[in-house]
Amino acid sequence: MAQRPQKKLFTRKKTCRFCGDKESVINYKDVKTLRNYISERGKIIPRRIIGTCAMHQRQLCEAIKQARQIAFLPYSGPSQG
Amino acid sequence: MRRYETIFIIRPSAGEEEINKIIENTRQIILDEKGSIIELNKWGIKKLAYLIKKESLGYYVFCDFAGTPAAVAEIERKFRIDDLVLKYLTIKTADSIKEEEIEQAVLAAEQRMTIPSDNQDTDSVNDDSVELEAEETDEE
Repeated sequence: MAQRPQKKLFTRKKTCRFCGDKESVINYKDVKTLRNYISERGKIIPRRIIGTCAMHQRQLCEAIKQARQIAFLPYSGPSQG
Repeated sequence: MRRYETIFIIRPSAGEEEINKIIENTRQIILDEKGSIIELNKWGIKKLAYLIKKESLGYYVFCDFAGTPAAVAEIERKFRIDDLVLKYLTIKTADSIKEEEIEQAVLAAEQRMTIPSDNQDTDSVNDDSVELEAEETDEE
């Protein structure tokens, strides 16, 4: 029987950016930072992909939703332009 | 006293006078309710992420203040009546704020106004790295 393809050798450990950088605070007005955490379609990127910790993901989620309300970020569609 | 942040978007076709009138009304409501304004900032015309009342641009005004829930209710009621206000968002940033804290916040806001922070370059670098990482993990 053929060997199963080996699992990818390198899986970089994902770390929470906000835990690493204590100075950065999640704020709904900071659109530049929030843009990193939404997909091209404007969806919030899940924690399992981006690697933020549960606490910060919750804060991030809230901030993105607030930013959407005041038209800093789109509900759907391209985030730029 | 609670501390609130209000952002409201005015129709870009509104004249300077009309914008000032809306801001003045807001300020008056806060002061009537014995609140105090910490920061009032006109961000100017910005592109909206989506159309609001068929407008793609909006004039943003930011207001950080200490006030009562009644003041917020009144401000929002006025915004809902006014056709020139496209959208508004009020967020409570602190449950209670003392007089000294208000003074400190006012000073901090003034300092920020005089020394505008400029770190655009570093931000754009960070943008790229996060996107790359997201793509890598998608493939797994």
